[in-house]
Amino acid sequence: MTQTTGTQRLIGWLKTITFYELLVGMKATMSHLLHYRPITLQYPHEKRTLPDNYRGMLALLRYDDGTEKCVGCDLCEAACPSRVIRVVSAEVPGEPTKRYSKEYYMDMTRCLFCGMCVDACPVDALGMTREFEWAVYDKRQLHLNKPQLLAIGDRSFPVREKRLELQHPNVAFFNVAFKHVPQKPN
Amino acid sequence: MTELGLRLAVSLAQIAAVMGIVMLTVMILTLAERKVLGWMQDRMGPMEVGPYGILQPIADGLKLFFKEDIVPAGANKFLFTMAPILAMVPAMIGFAVIPFGPDLTIDVFGISVKPFVISDINIGILYILAFASIGAYGIILGGWASNSKYSLLGGLRSAAQVISYELNVGLAIVGVLIMAGSLSLVKITEAQAGGFWHWYVFAFPAPQIFAFVVYVISAVAETNRVPFDLPEAESELVAGFFTEYSGMRFAFFFIAEYANMVLVSCVAAAMFLGGWNAPYPGTILAQLGLEGFAWIEGVAWFTVKVYGFLFLFFWLRATLPRLRYDQLMKFGWKVMLPIALGNIVVTAIAMYIYNQFK
Repeated sequence: MTQTTGTQRLIGWLKTITFYELLVGMKATMSHLLHYRPITLQYPHEKRTLPDNYRGMLALLRYDDGTEKCVGCDLCEAACPSRVIRVVSAEVPGEPTKRYSKEYYMDMTRCLFCGMCVDACPVDALGMTREFEWAVYDKRQLHLNKPQLLAIGDRSFPVREKRLELQHPNVAFFNVAFKHVPQKPN
Repeated sequence: MTELGLRLAVSLAQIAAVMGIVMLTVMILTLAERKVLGWMQDRMGPMEVGPYGILQPIADGLKLFFKEDIVPAGANKFLFTMAPILAMVPAMIGFAVIPFGPDLTIDVFGISVKPFVISDINIGILYILAFASIGAYGIILGGWASNSKYSLLGGLRSAAQVISYELNVGLAIVGVLIMAGSLSLVKITEAQAGGFWHWYVFAFPAPQIFAFVVYVISAVAETNRVPFDLPEAESELVAGFFTEYSGMRFAFFFIAEYANMVLVSCVAAAMFLGGWNAPYPGTILAQLGLEGFAWIEGVAWFTVKVYGFLFLFFWLRATLPRLRYDQLMKFGWKVMLPIALGNIVVTAIAMYIYNQFK
């Protein structure tokens, strides 16, 4: 128990009857009005600069030669905590040792943008773009299929050089070649 | 007969002008409140409609006008329709006795007209208090007729709050009435002429500073504004008594709230802060020889006082959190009421002694 002296009680009483605490608060709001520096951005007209590690819309990526990176391993589907991803894996016709994703679906209505699928991917076939303006009128438009995801990747990552360790022929073996596209000269 | 017709026409013109000014003020207030609140919270407020969002009230009005008008199932249709009107009419009708400018009399085709007050009745302030009490019916009936628990709770809170705080408003102005010896707002304002030391907040022999503080706090409570916005506490009661209202009916409640703010500000300016009187004796325009334009200065001072008051409303809203219900009641009955009563006793004794030695 702290003993309050008569002076302290008098000061406390004076503070009560003069609304001292309220006046301190009102001074604070008034100082914000006088030193007006808004921290909001007028969003559609001006946009904030995104951080470098921004996790936006997911996309499937290709190599420079137009080949898909995805090898249909299903690891992204296993890593996804929200069951966003569904992969239908298949052998590349005529090449029994190579696999690719025949169908690839993402239900972006459930995605929470944790980035675990990107971490799980062994061949860097998934990427997180910096797109975030994906509001639609019909939520079925957020059920994306493989061509749509590839299109997002194409417009977000125009330069897609192979990572050095993935240029090794043993790894490159897994990548599906599109027979009609000319091979990368090397 | 022609004189009656002429008087009617002049009165209607005055009413139209005052209504127009009040509605314009309400429009400005809806924007100003959002802007001032935004600035105080490091935001910008509305910025989209028009340059710096200054056309926002028009957009809001259009939106509310075209919204669907929903009457909830099980609502009492008659009372549900009546409640917004009951809330808005008393808020508007009080402006009839507010003197907006000097007490001039001009002759229009042989009849004398007071241009700055619609009707200078001798019980002006009593009339305002009476109609402000009727305004509470609109809120309570709106809450009851909606057939919704949140609305009913808001209405009940409003009933208790209005009873508690209108008492304080009434008692706070008794001191002024004792000093002025009149209930007419024109006479009260005229008695405060000649510099700010004659305003009843500071006037000799009994400064009404305590009554003024009680009046301001009670006025905030009476208009259901933050920090006394329990009837429409959006974090507890959705929107309180107008939860179920939409479209123009909602707009009526909204206009009523802001018109009430303007009304209590006008009353505070007229009763405590000298109304149209400048804080110095006389007017500058009269000193410069422009006797005929001195009313401009009077109206300007009245406007400044009213808007200063309205700014205080916004300022309080930006600063203070909502009171708890028991705190509200305790504050009203145990703090405000004794102060107001004590002020009446002190003022009465001071005026008695002052009149003995005058």
